[in-house]
Amino acid sequence: MSYQEKKTGISMFMGVLILIAYCIYAFGQVRSGAADFNDLKFFSATMMIFIGIGIAAMIVIQVLFHIALSVSVAVKEKCGDDKKIGKAIEANMVEDEMDKLIELKSGKIGFALIGAGFIAGLITLLFNCPPAVMLNILYLSFGVGSLAGGAMSIYYYRKGV
Amino acid sequence: MAKKIKITNNIRRLRFFSDEMTQQQLAEKAGISRQTVMAVEAGKYSPSLELAFLIADAFGVPIGEVFAYEKGEDL
Repeated sequence: MSYQEKKTGISMFMGVLILIAYCIYAFGQVRSGAADFNDLKFFSATMMIFIGIGIAAMIVIQVLFHIALSVSVAVKEKCGDDKKIGKAIEANMVEDEMDKLIELKSGKIGFALIGAGFIAGLITLLFNCPPAVMLNILYLSFGVGSLAGGAMSIYYYRKGV
Repeated sequence: MAKKIKITNNIRRLRFFSDEMTQQQLAEKAGISRQTVMAVEAGKYSPSLELAFLIADAFGVPIGEVFAYEKGEDL
């Protein structure tokens, strides 16, 4: 598994965790009666908190991932030469035109899903569903869109572009 | 009508004749990732002209010696 695949896999894993945590927390609060389903303020605050948690968790995970990568490269190289290890790490992290093409193609799929989520949200409003439904569909479609984008990236890395 | 073309390459053979150069060494020489070298070598990714030149330059041969194309059916 290449560096890019591992990085994408970790981001996807974090995305799933954040999405599950949001669903458990937000809908748990509604179910327990601590929050009202029509309380848009509650949902917007919860979403913003989880977006913040997601960004912070992603930064921490990426830092830990790079540390783990450096250690594994150092173990593989079996030498204490910092320059050699640094060069090997750099070689692992190179981002070239194929990476950019894959990012572009998988990003398109992610955006398509986000767009579909937005349309689905608008349709729920047409059917007189509470605005919180639309808000949640939008939020979840962002999560699902980024997950689908990640999954497509891994698919393209495996099968070719 | 546009023709579908299949790009083939001699990267494996050229690596063999370059003292069994590893994919990682080729990637470092061309300034790309090993993943891309693997994909190009396996025919899973058709490189841009720029990248094709970089790979040919890493072997020190003209681009035509690394890549070739076969004309296929009409698209």
